[in-house]
Amino acid sequence: MSPRPQFDLDRRQLLQLTAIFGGAAALAACGGPSVSSDVAGGAATDAATDWASVTPAKEITWWSNHPGASRPVEEELIKRFTTESGIKVNLVTAGANYDEVAQKFQAATGTDNGPDVVVSSDVWWFRYMINGQILPMDQLAEHLEFDTADYNETLYSDYRYDDAHWAVPYARSTPLFYYNKDAWAAAGLPDRSPKTWDEFTEWAPKLASASMIPLGLGKGTSWTAWWFCNFLWGRGGAYSDEWSMTLDSPEALDAAKFVQSMIFDDKIAAVAATDNVADFGAGLTACTIGSTGSLTGILEAAKFGVGTGFLPEGPAGPACPTGGTGVAISSNRSPEQQLAAGMFLKFLTSTESTAYFSSNTGYMPVRTSAQDSDIMAEVYKTSPQFRTAVDQLETTRVQDWGRVFVPGGDKELTTALESIILQQGDPAEAFATASTAIQRSYEQNVEPYL
Amino acid sequence: MLFLLFAGPNMALLVIFTYKPLMQSLYYSTLQWNIGSPVAMPVGLDNYVDWFTDPTTPGIVTVTVLFTVATVGGGMVIGLLLALVLNRRLRGTGVARTVVVAPYVLSGVAVGLLWLFVFDPNFGVTAALLRLVGLASPDWYNDPQWALVMVIVVYLWKNVGYVALIYLAALQSVPRDLVEAASIDGASSIRSFRSIVLPLLGPTTFFLAITTLLTSLQSFDIIQAMTKGGPLGGTTTMMYQIYQEGFQSGRAGYSSAVATILFVVLLLVTFAQVRYVDRKVHY
Repeated sequence: MSPRPQFDLDRRQLLQLTAIFGGAAALAACGGPSVSSDVAGGAATDAATDWASVTPAKEITWWSNHPGASRPVEEELIKRFTTESGIKVNLVTAGANYDEVAQKFQAATGTDNGPDVVVSSDVWWFRYMINGQILPMDQLAEHLEFDTADYNETLYSDYRYDDAHWAVPYARSTPLFYYNKDAWAAAGLPDRSPKTWDEFTEWAPKLASASMIPLGLGKGTSWTAWWFCNFLWGRGGAYSDEWSMTLDSPEALDAAKFVQSMIFDDKIAAVAATDNVADFGAGLTACTIGSTGSLTGILEAAKFGVGTGFLPEGPAGPACPTGGTGVAISSNRSPEQQLAAGMFLKFLTSTESTAYFSSNTGYMPVRTSAQDSDIMAEVYKTSPQFRTAVDQLETTRVQDWGRVFVPGGDKELTTALESIILQQGDPAEAFATASTAIQRSYEQNVEPYL
Repeated sequence: MLFLLFAGPNMALLVIFTYKPLMQSLYYSTLQWNIGSPVAMPVGLDNYVDWFTDPTTPGIVTVTVLFTVATVGGGMVIGLLLALVLNRRLRGTGVARTVVVAPYVLSGVAVGLLWLFVFDPNFGVTAALLRLVGLASPDWYNDPQWALVMVIVVYLWKNVGYVALIYLAALQSVPRDLVEAASIDGASSIRSFRSIVLPLLGPTTFFLAITTLLTSLQSFDIIQAMTKGGPLGGTTTMMYQIYQEGFQSGRAGYSSAVATILFVVLLLVTFAQVRYVDRKVHY
């Protein structure tokens, strides 16, 4: 039999334990953030650097998640940039998605192990900004003569705060309406997406069958609250007006009830178990809302004709959010590295690079000149579905701050919306809970830092 | 001096990688700190007050307790039953032992991804099997209760091999003469299991109760791979909340407060086990 373990501490053991904890406490005091009751004004500034006197570094590092399986495309663009400039770019897979990259980037702050260039998604760049982790781009862009006027205005404005731009658009997307052309034809519907949601509800009974649900919706963070913008804005509501939550408006509640009626009353929509795009590709749903970034994958996977169209309108008109990611420059790198990073971003978002990236991934061309380039013209000819996303850009608008700028905003909204679409929860109650949490997060995590 | 020479490196590692982060976490729990920000605000015990008064806390505690009780209790019972079967001299037990223990050495993320397909209500194996007997698949991914059942099942599948392995080793050290003597005296196999084998397994049960409890309360990988704490927080345990608050919402101070609370809970439960359960164990 094994000896009975002893758990009683004698005086010597107690002293040893105290010494270990004491030493650890002393070590713990080293590192970490500095502490102050005034944390305002943490954002970086670019006023001090005379870029004309800076020589670019010979090597920089880029943290990316290769959106839309774009690693080979990014590698090719890096190769072209290195040939042109002589600057080496180390491409690092810093995560499988935007959140993972952001987690690593935030954890690496204050160390020398961070990147020079980092992908900065719509829900993350603002946090980088208030934490002082990224550089405002304007002066550097002016010095390097970026043609910023050529960027799609909405996509570039997404990164604007406090009279500065904090990133440049890169892998940008919008939600898109995908439909199964074969199912449409079988139902005798015209080969186009419904103009309005009311029109869809008229069409839907013709699309329904034992093996097919008319509309598939997705769930989960970074997704539910994104597509819901279409219903919310389309009925005249909004998540927030700047920092004030506005989910208690009749329009917001109406939008939630409309989606609920499609799911629970009319049974013409269902929430996918895991992946609404995969369900659509497998023919389980007749149509779905997916990202433009999914276009290439859907076209490859589907065994039926795939149609794309604008998101249907609500009573207040068309409503489409933008999404995806931009790229930003770390604020804690040397001016030499930042200049080289700026040169790389100029190259990465040039007309040719943009057209190359978009034609290979399905993400939207972020430059107006790229939209009309020969490469894209060729793509539109072979896959006209690509054109829809570009045309829909006209109807997009910048996202509500309550979702994208407040830490936890998207998560709280997702919980509220999942309660509404999965459990037929009371929209007023669910939205009130989310609004209170987001308002509190703003007061704790944003307001003191501005 | 000799003591320091031998124990020093190990103690230094413990101080740097275990005790220092522990103290640091305790300190951060008194700050309002956006992870990534170079400055933080001192807020005293506000993070703790926030957690205890947050409307989502009761739900998270309930999920944590259900997950822990089901995985620890279920794991111990199933692990012991498996060990009893594997302890018999039957054909194929060697292969069976490997099969039972194999999932334990697999990566939790890989296991989670694999079972994502198994539970898919449209294309998964469970749905196909249920269809064979005329039943519809539960909505594993959209119903919070079923989602919790799903992650518990997967956790058990992955970890029960560890319990079985330790019990198997313990069963093999049970003196055969005692069991044989009881048998000669007319004790049934159930009686000799209850009165001889089970008490002799006491120290092993005690050891497993502590280690599986600690592992279960700290489990993260399967939840991250399968449900990401959803739907509707139905699989958000305290451990997962620490990750969500710290790295997704960036609230490092609040996250540290939850980590400290979980640490205290683990400490108290382990202390209670050592203090009260240990007395009932026969060494």
